[in-house]
Formats: sequence, C-alpha cells, structure tokens
Amino acid sequence: MVNELLNPIIIIIVALATGFLLPIVDKKNKSFTVVLFFMALIWIGLIALNGVVNFSSGAVAVEVITAGISPPFSINLQFGLFESVIILATTLIAIMTAWLMLDQLKENVSTLVLFLIWVMGIDGMIMTRDIFNLFIFIEITAICSFVLTGFNHNSNALSAGFKAIIAGTLASSFFLLGVMFLYYQTGTLNIDDMVNNQSLITGVIGHAALVMVLTGVLIELKPYPINGWALDVYQSAPSGIAAMMSVSVSAAYLFVFYKLLPLFQAWVPMITLIAGLTFVVSNFIGLKQTVVKRLLGYSSVAQIALIIMAITLLNGKVSVSLLALITGGLFLNHLLAKSALFWLAGMLNKTHVAQWTNLKKSPVVLFLFGCLLAALVGLPPFPAFWAKWELMMQLATHQQHGWMLLVLLGSLLEAVYLLRWFSGSLNDVKDEESSSPIRINTVTLWLSTVALFVSGFTISHLMGVSITPLFAPILAALFLLLFDELTGKTKAGITCVIAVFYSYDILLHLTGINWIFGLMLLMGSCVFILGSMYRDEQRRGYFPLLLLLIMSLGTLLQAKTSLNFFYGWELMTMSSYLLMNCGKNALKSSFIYLIFSMGAAYFILFAFALVFAQTGTIQLDAMNTISQYQTLIFACFMIGFLIKLGGLGFHVWLPGVYSETEDDYTAILSGVVSKVGVFGLLMAGTHLGQTINDEMVFYVLGWLGVITALLGALMAVFQEDVKKLLAYSSIGQMGYIVACFALMNHLGWVTAMYLSVNHLLYKGLIFLAIAGVIYRTQTTLMYKMGGLLKNMPMSFFSALIGIIAISGVPPLLGFGGKWMLYNAMIEKGWYFQAGMAFFASAIAFLYLFRFIHTVFLGQRKSEHKELVEAPFSLLIPQVLLIIAIMVFSLNAKWLIQPLSDAVAVYYPSTLTWTGTFLQTSQGYWDGYLVMNVVTGVFLLPLIILLLVSTTTKIQKVKQFNIVYAAERPDKPETTHVAYNFYAFYEKALGFWVKPRATQFWNSVAEWSHTMGSACRILYTGNGQTYASLIVLFFVIIYFV
Amino acid sequence: MVIENILQTPLSNIVLITGFFLFTIGLWGVLTHSNIIRMIIGFSLISTGIHLVMISIGYLTNKTAPIINDEIKSELLTSVVDPVPSALVLTSIVISLGVTAVMLSYAIQIHQTKKTLSINDCSEMKW
Amino acid sequence: MEYWITKIAYYLLTVSIVMVYGLLLSAVIAKTMARVQGRVGIPLYQPFIDIMKNFGNRTAISHGIMFYLGPVFRLAGGLGTLAFIPVIYGSEMFSNFHFAGDILLVMYFIFFGQLGMALGAGEGGHPYSAIGIARGLAQMTSYEVPFALAVIAVVVQYDTASISQIVAAQQGGFMNWTVFTNPFAVAAAMLAFLGMTGYAPFDVVMAPNEIPIGPATEFHSSYLSLMQINRAIFAGAKLVLFMNLFFGGAGNLIELVAKTWAIYMIPVIVGVAFPRFRVEQSVRFFLKIPTLIGVLAIFYVQYIVLK
Repeated sequence: MVNELLNPIIIIIVALATGFLLPIVDKKNKSFTVVLFFMALIWIGLIALNGVVNFSSGAVAVEVITAGISPPFSINLQFGLFESVIILATTLIAIMTAWLMLDQLKENVSTLVLFLIWVMGIDGMIMTRDIFNLFIFIEITAICSFVLTGFNHNSNALSAGFKAIIAGTLASSFFLLGVMFLYYQTGTLNIDDMVNNQSLITGVIGHAALVMVLTGVLIELKPYPINGWALDVYQSAPSGIAAMMSVSVSAAYLFVFYKLLPLFQAWVPMITLIAGLTFVVSNFIGLKQTVVKRLLGYSSVAQIALIIMAITLLNGKVSVSLLALITGGLFLNHLLAKSALFWLAGMLNKTHVAQWTNLKKSPVVLFLFGCLLAALVGLPPFPAFWAKWELMMQLATHQQHGWMLLVLLGSLLEAVYLLRWFSGSLNDVKDEESSSPIRINTVTLWLSTVALFVSGFTISHLMGVSITPLFAPILAALFLLLFDELTGKTKAGITCVIAVFYSYDILLHLTGINWIFGLMLLMGSCVFILGSMYRDEQRRGYFPLLLLLIMSLGTLLQAKTSLNFFYGWELMTMSSYLLMNCGKNALKSSFIYLIFSMGAAYFILFAFALVFAQTGTIQLDAMNTISQYQTLIFACFMIGFLIKLGGLGFHVWLPGVYSETEDDYTAILSGVVSKVGVFGLLMAGTHLGQTINDEMVFYVLGWLGVITALLGALMAVFQEDVKKLLAYSSIGQMGYIVACFALMNHLGWVTAMYLSVNHLLYKGLIFLAIAGVIYRTQTTLMYKMGGLLKNMPMSFFSALIGIIAISGVPPLLGFGGKWMLYNAMIEKGWYFQAGMAFFASAIAFLYLFRFIHTVFLGQRKSEHKELVEAPFSLLIPQVLLIIAIMVFSLNAKWLIQPLSDAVAVYYPSTLTWTGTFLQTSQGYWDGYLVMNVVTGVFLLPLIILLLVSTTTKIQKVKQFNIVYAAERPDKPETTHVAYNFYAFYEKALGFWVKPRATQFWNSVAEWSHTMGSACRILYTGNGQTYASLIVLFFVIIYFV
Repeated sequence: MVIENILQTPLSNIVLITGFFLFTIGLWGVLTHSNIIRMIIGFSLISTGIHLVMISIGYLTNKTAPIINDEIKSELLTSVVDPVPSALVLTSIVISLGVTAVMLSYAIQIHQTKKTLSINDCSEMKW
Repeated sequence: MEYWITKIAYYLLTVSIVMVYGLLLSAVIAKTMARVQGRVGIPLYQPFIDIMKNFGNRTAISHGIMFYLGPVFRLAGGLGTLAFIPVIYGSEMFSNFHFAGDILLVMYFIFFGQLGMALGAGEGGHPYSAIGIARGLAQMTSYEVPFALAVIAVVVQYDTASISQIVAAQQGGFMNWTVFTNPFAVAAAMLAFLGMTGYAPFDVVMAPNEIPIGPATEFHSSYLSLMQINRAIFAGAKLVLFMNLFFGGAGNLIELVAKTWAIYMIPVIVGVAFPRFRVEQSVRFFLKIPTLIGVLAIFYVQYIVLK
C-alpha cells in the first residue's frame, strides 16, 4: 500500500487531483485549502525522498509505463536517482517558496492550483521519456510560469510576462515542429528510441528538425543574447516566483537538455561556445547592474550556462558519477543559494543594490546573506567550491585550457558584483529608514544555509576528502560564535587559549619549513591576540573570525594535498576579509583586497589544475614529477601569492586595508597574514623549483622583488597617515623576501625566512605600539601627533627597537637579514639587484625617521598633554616581541640554524658556523661579538657623559624653550615639522611613485564595466527585438 | 500549368506548404506588428500553421482512416495513415488555445494597467 | 680574557690616534682654507681647545632622556665604525675588531650614529633639527647608491667582503690598488665621498651660513664636545675605510697619514671650488652620473677584470 502511494506516477495524479479538488474545497473551507495544497506538495516531496533513499542505496531506476503497452508505443516515465534528487530539490524549494508567498498565493485559489500544476509540470519534464509528452509538460510549466509572473498585476511584471510569452511560444513552436519532423524520420516519440535510431535523422529535414528542437530547449536555458525576456521576468516577477523560475524550472530544463544531448552531438562545440559566451557576458553585464533581482537574474543565467558548459565539455569524457558530482554540486549550490537570495530580496523589499546597507545591525540576516553569497561565489565549504575544483581538474586533464580561463574569468566577474553587494551591505549609513534592525522570518533562509553546509559536507565526502581538518575551523568558529554575548576581553582570552592549544597540536605534526612557518604564524597570532584585550568593546564576530583565520592557517600548513591547501587558502582569504570589516569599516579597500584575492585564488587553482592534469593526483608531493608547463605553473603560483603579499602592481589593496582596519588586526595582517604568501612561495618553490630549467622566471621575480622593495619604501616616505606609512613599508619588506626567495638557493631561502620572522617581530611590534598611540590620540595622521615620548615612553621604546631592527642597523637582528641578503645576492651574481636593495634600505631610513620623529619626538600638541601610556594589555605582547628580538639579536644562531636546517633538505647548506661566527662564501659576521662591541662603544661615551653631566643641577626645559633665532614659537602646530616632511625628496624622486598601478587597475575596472554596457545594448526591453533575436539565433544555428 | 502541377501534388504536400506559409505569415506578423492583439493573431497563425504541418506529416496518400476493423486488420501497416500526428494535433490545439487565452488575458491586463496595447510601451525594463 | 683586554687596549689606542689625527686634519683644512681666502685662520690646536672648553662648560637644561642619548649614539656610531675596520694592514695592534664582521657591517654601522643623533635632536623639539636631519638622510639615500655599487664591485672583484682580505688583495705594488684595477668603482665611490663629507656642493644639510642654530646650538657643553670628537673619529674611520677599499690600505702610520690626507683633500678642493646644491638637486645628481659610473664599475669587473 505504502509502495503504491509512493509510486512516481502518483506525483502527477496527486497534483492534478488536488488541482481539481482545491476550488471545490475552497468553497467550503478556506483554511483547509491551504492544508490540502501543502499536503499535495509534501506528498510529492516524500515520493522523491523515498526515491532518493532507495536509489542511492543501489535500487534500479523505476520505469513507469502507461496505457498498458510497453514503450516506445506508449508514454513512459523514468524515475531514477537523478530524477528523484532533482524532484526532491525542486519540490523542497517549491514548498518553501509557497510557504513564504502564502499570503499572496492564497488570495485566489486558482493561484494555488496553478502553483501546484506548475510543480507537476516541472516534475513531469524531469521524468518523462516521451518527447511529445515532454512538449506538453513544457507547455504546462510555461503557461503556469506566464500566469504566475503577472499574477499580482504589477505593470513591470505584465510587460515581462508578455515578453516571456513571446519567447516561450516561439520556443515551443520550434520545439513542436522539430519534434514532428523527428517523428517523421524516426517513427518514434520515445527519446531513448530516438537516440538509438539517430542514424535515421538525415538530410535537410533531419538537420532542421534537430536545430528546431535544440533552439526550443536553448531558449528556455536562456543563453545570451536571447535571454532578455528572462531577465525582465527575474526582475519583476514576485520574488518567490522568480526564485522558482531561476532554480526549479531551470533544473527541469537542464535535465531535459541532458536527456536530449545525445541527439545534439554535432552541436556540442557550438553549445559550449554559446554557454561560455553566456557565462562571461552575463557576468560582465552583471557588473553594471544595480537592481538586485536583475543582478540575481544575470548570475542565474551565468550559473546555468556554467552547468551547461560543464556538461558539454565533460560529457562522455569523465564517468557519469563524476559528471554528476560536478554538475550536481554546481546545481545544488545554485538552487539553494539563488532561491534563498531571491526570497531574501523579496522579504527585504530593497530594489536597488545601493539600498542594501546597515546589515550589521541585523547580524543574523547578515550571516545568512554572507553564507548565501559565499556559496554563490564558490567559496568553501559550500558545494560550488568542491564542484568548481573538480571541474577545473577535469578540464585540465582533458586539455581544455581555454575553457578553464573562461570559467575563471567569468567566476571572477561574478564574484565582483556579488561581493560588492555584500560589501555594500556592511556599510553604515545614517538614515532613519534603513538603520533599524530588520525583522523578517529567516526560517527558510536558515534551512537553505544549513542545507548548503550539509551538501558541501556531503560532496566533499563523496570526493574522498578527509573532512575533519577541513571542517574543524568552521565548526570551531561557529562554536565560538555561540558565546558572542560575552565581553570582548573574555572572548579574547578564550580565543587565545583555544589558539594556543590548537597551535600546540598542529606544531606536533609539522616538520621542516612548515613547522617553522607554523611556529611563526600560529604563535605570532597568539601573541597578537593578547594585544586584542586592550579594547573594551564587545567586538561582535571578531573573535570567532580570528579563530577561523588562525585555524585556516593551520589547515594550510598541514595541507598534504593541493585541495587542502586551496581550501585553507580560500578560508584564510575569506576570514581575513571579514575581519577587516569587523568594527571599523575598511569597505572600499577590503573589497579590492577580496577581489584581488579571488583573482589570486583562481591563478593558484589554475596552476593546481595544470599540475593535476599531469600527475593525476592532488598530492602535493607528486608535484615535482611534472614535465610540461613548469614555468607557466610556477608563474601562476607566483602571481597568486604575490597578490596576497602585496607585490608591486598587486599592492593597491594593501595600504588602504592596513590603514582602515582595526589597529590590532593590522598587526596580525602585516605580521601574520602577509607571511602566508611567503609560505605559498616556498610551497611552490620546494615542489616545483627543481623542475624548472629556465632561470628567467626567477630573474624576473627577483627584479620584481627589489623594485617592490624600492618603490614600497619610497611610497612610505611620502605618507602622512602612520598606518599607511607602515603599510607601504610592509610592501617594501615583502619585496626583499620575494627577491630572496627568487634566488632559489640555500642562502636565499634562509634569508627569505629569516626576513619573514624578522618582519613578523618588528612590524608586529611597531603596529602594536602605534595601535596604542592611535587608541590614545584618536588619529592616524602623523602631523597631528608629536612629542608623545613624554607620555608614552614604553610605546616609544617599542617603536625605537622596531625601527632599529627594520633599518638593519647593527646590532639588532635586522642587520642579519640585510647581511645575508647581500651575501646571497652577490653569491648568485645579482649585483644590480643588491645595489637596488641597498638603495631601498637607505630610503627606509627616511620613513623610519619620519615615523619616530613626527609621532614621538618634536613638539607635543597641547591637547595631548594629559595622555597616558598605552593600555597594559597592548604592552604585554610588545614586551614579548622585544624579548624575542633581543634574544635573536644576541644569538642569531638560534634563529638561523633551524631555518638553515629546514632549507638544507632542498639545497645544500652554504653557511658555516664557528661558534657564533657565521661565514658565507664572501663574508662573515659574528652577531654576538658585534653586540658586545656595540654595547662597549655605547657605554664608553655614556659613562663619560654621565660623569661630566651629573655634577651639576639640571633643569628640565619647557616646551618652547629652544633657541629659535629671533622668533618666539607659541604653538606646537607651527613648530613641529611633520606635514609634507620630505617635500624636497618628492620633488627629486616623487615621479617614480605616481599611482600607476592604481590607474591601471582603475582602467581595467572601467574597461570591464564598459564591456558590460556594450554587451547589454542588445537588451532593448522590446519584446519584438527579443523575438527577432530568437529567429536570428535559430537561423545562425541552422547555418553554422 | 501551375494549377495542373498543384493538382498533381499529393494533398499532404499542399497542406504542408500551406502550413509553412501560415507559420511564416504568423512569424512576420509577430515580428512586425507592435500591437499586442495583432501579435497574438500572429501567434495563432503560427500554431495553426504548425498544426497543418503536423497533420500533413501523418497523412499518407491513398491510405484509409486508421480505424481498425476486420477488413484491414491483415494489412494494418500498409493500408492506414499514421494516427499519431492527428492525435498529437488535438493536444497541441488545446495547448495553443490555452496559450492564446493567457496572451489575451495579458493583453487585457496590460491595457488596464498601461492604457496601451503597443509592445513598444512594455520596454520599461531593459539592460 | 687577557686577549680581549689587550684587544680593547689596542682599540683604545687606535681610537686616540685617529681622534688626534682627525682633529688635526680638520684644523689643517680650516687653516688652509683661511689662507686661501686671505685670512689668518685658527691655530692647529684650536679643536683640542674647543673640546676641552666644551667639556668644561656646565649644562643646566635637559630636554629628556633621548636628548642625552643623541650625542652618545652619535659617538658610539663613530667608535663602532672604527672598531670594525682594520686600520693598518698586517698590524695586530691596529686591526681592531674587524673579525666581527665584514664591509657590510661597517656600511650599516655608519647609520647607527646618524639614527641616534636624529632621535636626540628630535627630542630637542627644534624644527631645524628635523629639517637638517631630513635633508641629511635624503642626501644619504642617494650617495649611498654609487657607494654601494662601488663596494659591490670591489667585493666581486676580490671575491670577498672582508676588509682585511680586500686590502691583502691590493698588496704588491700600487698597480694592484683598486684605483688602478677598477677606476670606475673608485670614481663612483669618490663622488659618493663628496656627499658623505658634507662639503660644498653638498653642504645644504648643515647649511652653516643660513641656519645659525640647530643641533650644533641645541647641543652644548659636553654634548657638543662628544659630537666634535665624533666628527674627528668618524671622518678618520671613513677615510681609513676608503683607503682600505680603494687605495691599497696602509702598511704603517706614515702611509696611513699620507693616503688619508690625500683622500681628504679631494672633497676639500671640490668644496672650495663649487657652490651649493639644493637637496633635490644633489639627490638627483648622485642618481645620475655617479650611479652610472657605479654600474659601469660592476660591468667592468664582471666582463673585463674577471675575464
């Protein structure tokens, strides 16, 4: 009995029967109508669920035969795993949509009936194996869509609906004609039978017939440029209906396309081309779009095109289950995320992207919105991430490099407009209307989001990925999110404790370079978190994200496979981006960071895919066996990692981000996150370095490194904002590291890692010191500070140690880095690079002096008289860092020896130790002795001076008690030299650092948007234009 | 001469050509007339054309109606026309009726909300 | 232990000699210039008197701890620079602590004093101190470029960064001196030296005529005397460094005096003959011809000397 009730044919019977019953019941009892309606939908869902359960455990697909005659002489339905999954998914979306739209739907019982029949039509399209029957279901679905689009009599929706009718009717006319001719030639209407008798489809008639059917199906799959009507529908139809159109109806058409695909083998390249064009063009146009639902429409069109591309490119080349994994992952992701976004758009009722602001006031909505967008963009751990990964791997394996680039380009564009939307929603705008928290029913959104997490989890499980390390960071962050109500200081403490334990655990499992980076990044983060206790605010979301960041670093460090690496990388990007916008808003620059990071990730993905194509495995250790495209792969990695650490040309995000985010987070960004790029470089270097014979790529990288160092330093010289100054300084420091890495020898890599550790220590120290200063003075502009030494001596001392270390002046550890740098470069024969590095390090003195002078020395502002030392919790990590700097300065061996050993695995060591005496092929250095000599020569004059000076009474002078010719200064503002400090230097060399990179990227952005406008001029909004395009499309396909 | 030729061609071909002719006229109407009612008429012509084409495909010259009785049972496959297209046409006619109805109701709604019947006035959304 | 005590004693001896020599040198230059300009000039012992006098003066004011430390840093910079340079070739007595580090250490330690001075002067709160230091640093960045290129050329040429080995490589006749084996490197370095010494045309840093105040006035009494001592030692150290790198070093004190005096005369003569550059002019100047010569020096080493 139960089995009878779960027979797939019941789907159609239930829908039709309920459809007839509803109007009758409605006359008697309104509320029962709704119950009946939902019962019918749930019944359909249960049938599908039953199917999914059965078929996934291996049951054979059910063949439903009608009229008592076997096919091809009767209509048959097929109900297997794919069908049941798609029906289940679409039905669930339908149930949730209906629930959300219930108020609108139940006004008129005929709408309910239509909705139900619509669902039936969709299910019928999925199940039927008879092509004419398919036509009927298509028509049923189409008619319901038309009516539901315009059912609220909105003027726009009516226009859109009529355009949809024009397109839909043309599509079905073509389809029907084609079907009839196919029948004429094959004598059957059964799809399987027709596929088997393909050889009968010949001549002009056969060609025309296939083109007609193809056109009919394609129109409904909405390829560019014949999709103008669909976008209008997405924009104007009620959100729920648009959601259904975008996901459920599309699902049905995609499956129809898949069913009919064997007939269109000759057109596969062309379909791929159309889909590829649609994917890229839609995303270009999406850039220009400001209406939310139309934006989603473009994204929708693009996603469907991507799935079509995946099908046409891989069908027959990879196993059905793999293809199902890829397309299924992409589709499930689109289905859940897109429908939920349409619902959200409907619930919030904010038409334009610009109206989406102040979402921080509604954290739940923001969380859901963020998850949905992340899923759509293809970030981990959502299904699209895994599917896209697998898609790239398979495309690379089958040498489809052009298509890979196309997919990545389109994905990047899509990420731009979707994430721009998200970024805008974080904006705090002061206005009455949008600043109150949003009150909406989020149940369906929660369901979708949870489903996204679960399906991401499932897909990764199907891919055979070990899940624990990958999902642990997310779970831990979500766990910490539960305690978001606690005070900021408590949360910082908890985070620090968890991070310490986590780091300890991770470090036990790491060796070599990974261990060193683990120690550096994880322990560094723990130290910096201590600093985070200086703030009294609650800092919602900050600490969970921080934990996510740290644990994603752990994932990255532990990665043994390229997939794990990429996963950790993406997670790190995402969490670091979100952290930038916790608290203060760094929206504009952090958005640029995000987009650049996405681009970087795609470069890395591309490289990993090329590797996979050659090795057939995702094991990182297998990378060194590749024999093709080594230089290309390496270059892609380099670009990817350079973007992250702010290499020249890709640095445009960095200064803004550093200067605008929370001050303690900047320390983490500069100290820790930028090192991840270095880790990436070394990952690529250790695995690929040996395979590359062409030195050119390293040579270019080396020059890029030293030029970055030079221009970074030069830019830093001209900054007024203290955090920008330090940010540019970081860019410059990263330049040295890149150059050292590019040396590709023992000393070079040791230096790169040594500089990384140094940079973590001293730049972290300075950023923490300056965080305290900014906390007290409430400004980041250096000319508004001055003379703070008297108020904040500890912070000054930290900054002093920091700048001595950065500048490379002996005896602190910075000199070791400089010394090894020149030795390594001269050893390699890179003399001019060494010269340029020297120039850069000389310029560093300029900005370092400017920094310490204008902030701590000179004349103190009157309003700063009462300031006190930075908060204690900020000073603790500073003390720890100073101790580390001092220890490593005194005994450089403790630091250099482990680095040298780690690198010695890859290159034979060229460093010789005799006690504390270190020797390279050219030079030598005894850090311990230097420290002693310097202490000696420092004490000598100091003692003399003390002996001479302490004999008299000394009076502390007043602020303006200085010899100042005949003038009498009375205001610190006029006496403190700070603003435009190096005007003459700007006059001399300023032309080197015109913002060319920014101009370049601006013009890229401008160009992309122009491209979008150019592509969308075909969308005139006129139904007849769209009809003409369809006819033209048909003619072109026919003749190509 | 021409008339003779036409008389000699099988009936199904005449229907086929007429069907295509109607289809083309309908398409022409849809593409050139901006009045929504006229476009709907165009669509009706298109569907009628398709129906004629469908019938012509199933018709076989000099065959009898596919009504199975004892007389033709023995030579079923050679003596009757194909019944399937005729059956399909019925379904198709119903569907096109439904579509036409939806179109007309749209026309009414558009006229009520916009006070116009020109498709050109329905292009407020674009790009 | 005894070894280190001897080492320190020798070092202090070297420092004293270099200090006396440096002070005498400045007096000689001042006297010579006065004579050129038709004045009587100072007696040769004038710098010693100045230092004694300044030490004797008492100070009554303090701007703070960094202000104190400025001159200390400054002098430590001079003392340290000298400490890492072997003064006389082959002499244990005058070899200092050169085994602690190579030429790179010396080049970076030169910055030590400037940095400390900058901090001390900064705390004084006088705007002109900051301006002077900013100018000095700016000029420094650009003359370091030809100098660095010259040093790299030398290091490449002798395949060592050790100063004593560089000197050793130049022994055996004056034709082995760098100035003859690689004239480009020496030309670049000597042009840089003009900037380092701060005579005209690169004397806008101190701007002795226009800015009658600044560090030199803010720092008085014993502070000033420390700076004066440093001036002598630092100049001496730099001269010795140049002599070692480019002019074959010195085998004894006489040779040392002769060579360093000759080297010092170059900026003095140029200084007498030329007017002053603005900062941006001198920054650009060093990045043009001198840098180009430095680049040539490296090419010369790579493709001619080592081939």
